[in-house]
Amino acid sequence: MLSFILRRVAQSILVLLIVGAVAFSMFRFVGDPIDNMLGQERTIEDVERLRAQLGLDQPFPVQYFRFLQGAVQGNFGVSFRQGREVSEILLERAPATIELAAVSAVFAVLLGIALGVFTAIRRDGWVANFIMSASLIGVSLPTFLIGILLIYLFSVELGWLPSFGRGETVDIGGWSTGFLTATGLKALILPSITLGLYQMTLIMRLVRSEMLEVLRQDYIRFAKARGLSDRVINFRHALKNTMVPVITIIGLQLGAIIAFAIITETVFQWPGLGLLFINAIQFVDIPVMAAYLMLISVMFVMINLIVDLLYAFIDPRLRVTGS
Amino acid sequence: MTDTNAETEAAKAAPSRLRRALDSDLFYAYRRSPVAVVSSVVALLLILAAIFAPLIAPTNPFDPASLNLMDGFTPPMEPNAFTDNSFFLGTDDQGRDVYSTILYGMRVSLFVGLAAVTFAMVLGIILGLLAGYVGGWTDTIIMRAADVQLTFPSILVAMLIFGIAKGVTPVEYRDQMAIWVLILAIGLSDWVQFARVVRGATLVEKSKDYVAAAQIIGQRPLTIMLRHIMPNVLSPVLVIATISLALAIIAEATLSFLGVGAPPTQPSLGTLIRIGQGFLFSGEWWILFFPACTLLALALSVNLLGDWLRDALNPRLR
Amino acid sequence: MKRLVSAMALTSALAAPAFAEEFKFAVTTDPQTMDPHAVNSAPVLGFLNNVYEGLVRRGKDMTIEPALATSWEPIGDGEGWRFNLREGVTFQDGAEFNADDVIFSYERASDENSDTRSWFAPVSEVIKVDDFTVDIMTSAPNPIFPDSIANWMIMDSGWAEANGATLPDKEAGNYATLNANGTGAFQITTREPGLRTVLEPFDGWWGEVEHNITRAELTPIQNPATALAALLSGDVDFINPVPIQDVARLQGDPNVNVIQGIEARVIMLGFDHQPGESEAGQGGADIFQDARVREAVAKAVNVPAILQTIMRGNAEVASQLVSPAMRGYSEVAGAPYAYDPDSARALLEEAGMAGATFDLKCPNDRYLNDEAVCQAITGMLAQVGLSPTLDAMPVQNYWPELRADNFDMYLLGWSPGTFDAEHPIRFLGSTPNEEKRLGSWNFGAYSNARIDELLPMIQSEIDDTARQAMLDEVATIMQDEYAYVPLYVQPLVWGTRSNIELTQRPDNFFILRWVTVN
Repeated sequence: MLSFILRRVAQSILVLLIVGAVAFSMFRFVGDPIDNMLGQERTIEDVERLRAQLGLDQPFPVQYFRFLQGAVQGNFGVSFRQGREVSEILLERAPATIELAAVSAVFAVLLGIALGVFTAIRRDGWVANFIMSASLIGVSLPTFLIGILLIYLFSVELGWLPSFGRGETVDIGGWSTGFLTATGLKALILPSITLGLYQMTLIMRLVRSEMLEVLRQDYIRFAKARGLSDRVINFRHALKNTMVPVITIIGLQLGAIIAFAIITETVFQWPGLGLLFINAIQFVDIPVMAAYLMLISVMFVMINLIVDLLYAFIDPRLRVTGS
Repeated sequence: MTDTNAETEAAKAAPSRLRRALDSDLFYAYRRSPVAVVSSVVALLLILAAIFAPLIAPTNPFDPASLNLMDGFTPPMEPNAFTDNSFFLGTDDQGRDVYSTILYGMRVSLFVGLAAVTFAMVLGIILGLLAGYVGGWTDTIIMRAADVQLTFPSILVAMLIFGIAKGVTPVEYRDQMAIWVLILAIGLSDWVQFARVVRGATLVEKSKDYVAAAQIIGQRPLTIMLRHIMPNVLSPVLVIATISLALAIIAEATLSFLGVGAPPTQPSLGTLIRIGQGFLFSGEWWILFFPACTLLALALSVNLLGDWLRDALNPRLR
Repeated sequence: MKRLVSAMALTSALAAPAFAEEFKFAVTTDPQTMDPHAVNSAPVLGFLNNVYEGLVRRGKDMTIEPALATSWEPIGDGEGWRFNLREGVTFQDGAEFNADDVIFSYERASDENSDTRSWFAPVSEVIKVDDFTVDIMTSAPNPIFPDSIANWMIMDSGWAEANGATLPDKEAGNYATLNANGTGAFQITTREPGLRTVLEPFDGWWGEVEHNITRAELTPIQNPATALAALLSGDVDFINPVPIQDVARLQGDPNVNVIQGIEARVIMLGFDHQPGESEAGQGGADIFQDARVREAVAKAVNVPAILQTIMRGNAEVASQLVSPAMRGYSEVAGAPYAYDPDSARALLEEAGMAGATFDLKCPNDRYLNDEAVCQAITGMLAQVGLSPTLDAMPVQNYWPELRADNFDMYLLGWSPGTFDAEHPIRFLGSTPNEEKRLGSWNFGAYSNARIDELLPMIQSEIDDTARQAMLDEVATIMQDEYAYVPLYVQPLVWGTRSNIELTQRPDNFFILRWVTVN
């Protein structure tokens, strides 16, 4: 077991190194950062000097090595755009994304499970069928369009909710939270619906099919025969047994929510990591792009690692085939 | 976004044996499901409209020489204030007939979607079979490569490929290049779920007696993989492929919003929506509304079909 | 618990009570630095004009008026300029302003690390005469020097030294990147790059206060639809720019005002004048070396139609590289190229270039509706028998492409920093010459010996009539040779809530001290 864990950790580190290398090799295709750092009256001489100062005249393996050297010590360099430590910027932006992702996940999980259970119990009812079909509308339109339509309806036409940003935030020991103010809470509604809609549909469908499967099992039939109420059967027995795969999916999707917050944050001008990354692409802010990608990679790799370890722990057969 | 839902569900469907009689069962279930019938008819109509766009469309919006800028922003079924021309669904900012651009745009979207899914499917099946059957280091390398792949949001993959392709293609091919870049980018970010499902199913099948028997009688691994294992994993693959098609069409639209989609001179439905959303507030609703409805109809019908297919192919749910 | 929450709310930066005169404004691009000498770009200089001040400044009509200098006059026969400084001015940290700060700011702004260095190319020496008099000597007579330093902002020498910011640092940033200490009407109280920047009036400002703002907050919003939604829903009081297509809708909304003007920026088409292969790979010589082909392009592009539809009637046709509002605009070259597709077709036939393929490069996020304009131009050129391929891309890829000569034809916008017709001649009209720092944006290497000869003469001519005659000559040469095809002057469209009064300056700088919240 220990050697399995060690091997998986070593593989994960290798994955991270490859991600970094691929990322660095592609940065030069994103554009040239120099043009955003100098004004229209710059000369070619100025351009070359700045390029050398930033180390951009070096081949990419050298740039990558320098980045790794710093990253190991927790130093991701200085943003070309903002002239500040990248780690400082990431820490400043992370709460916004984490809060948005958390609210989206809670929304997706609660509503997803509730609707999933409902559609499974009323399998042939027209309401359940309607919910099943309607939920697909949400995943049949691009996220950015859903976001813009929500803004148009709830901010511009109805004027109920703010159109952008996080509202007022409260600073608690370096963590800026929007949970403690009315405007902060209101500002969370539209972006988290936009971001969580996809996962909500996913969870709902998963719960439904798991439930349908479990309800066919013998022990449920047995419970029915014993005369237990539907409620006890549905929630105490059936739902409980559907939770294992659902939790796995939620874990995997949490990473996806954070990574794909890029679009939602762009549409809602949500000051989180995704918006930071989009801006970094726009201004070819290589240190920020590199740090963001590494951060997301670490997160995905960690989630994958944990899931694999859990599987290995639960199912010894996979452990054998895995090694 | 990777569809983990389809993945796990399909993985469960995997152990089901592909019965020869499946076709008739499937068709029976199909006839009994109004949702399946309606959505397949809608999807088929849209696909046919896209294929025959040059015959149906009144104009060719991809030919810049045929456009008259002064026709721009004509509302649906109303004559233009300057040119007095009238268009069924109105015109966009370039004076292109919206109806024609939708037909042509759907061609681009469908082509990108189908090609990307085919690419992802072929790649995923090959790698999944290899990983599951050969195991060992092959498995490790492929599955870690899948991890790397999952880490990169498809927009980054698209930008990477876009940048490289730009460096190596001559200018006159760049318009077409954008399409291939999209296919490659979406396909690359999609193969993982195929590979995972196929690998999982392969692991299960591999341990069964018939595979052992085939090995004993000396059949080559390639034959075993293609002849014996692959047919058993095809039904989950089919389900994933259907849902992936809808996802790929949406992904193309999203990439377009981020500026790496199909070029505006040869717009896809996604590009049309990206352009149209700029006119949402200014009152030219038709530039956004009609392409968005078409995309919705297309993706929804394909999604519903995939949804139905998943239930229909999973015997335990019947 | 409740008390704890409210106590925390009090410490939060944003939880200040809402004033009636609070003003929220949104722009597309966040100013990337608070250092007035680090980056020479409109978002930075425009914003910092509210915090820092120069010796001179531009008024509501763009004329030069006294700021930290009360008066100035030429020295001798054009050896330089003498500036008499304003007394009793303090910086926002309380330090006194004097000639030492001017000398310091000159050295800082003209340093190799500064992006504003080119402004001081004509300067040979800066001399402190006394505490409130400074002489700026120029190597040749320079009649427009005071105009050219309106954005040169004065920083306190003591503050910069105490905080280790004596030179701008573009790569790593320093104290002045995030903090500011000017003499201007507003001071920065909170700076969160990319998120928000909060300004409050500076009580010790020397000038007469016109505004009634007690607190102003700048938020960058990139997505135009989101910015517009924010204005319509009242989440912000001001946005810049308003998407052109939404002008009509906003004009019909009683809660919102649209303020329109003509920007200093002229949008034009540039050509590859250099010999060599066409980028579209036709193998032959570059088609745009033939003046007839350039003329055909000028005649094929129906600029009024573009302005009518894509620009919704909100822009004006341009005839030369500067707009009529600029100093030195040439009336002689005031007639724009006329739309004449038949003659364009004939010219192409004559030149044997009918059906020629080439590539049109275009940014898709730099100028208002740039991609749509290029798309329309592609169609118009196709209609006279050319075969262009449009290659549109984000601006971070655009400039490297142009620098690498990867174009046949391209779209460019130029806004003269000095508000003078000499500026585009220096950057776009001169033969590229790295040593003399001329023609650095002349990507297509357009070259005319007479223009190269006239430029230094224009730069040192003190007599306005003689200078204008030379500017007219240059404008006429460029027009006759179809060096560039000027298309239109980019419109300036700002949107505000209807309770806001403000003044729009043609350089697109947003000046907070002219804002009134009603």
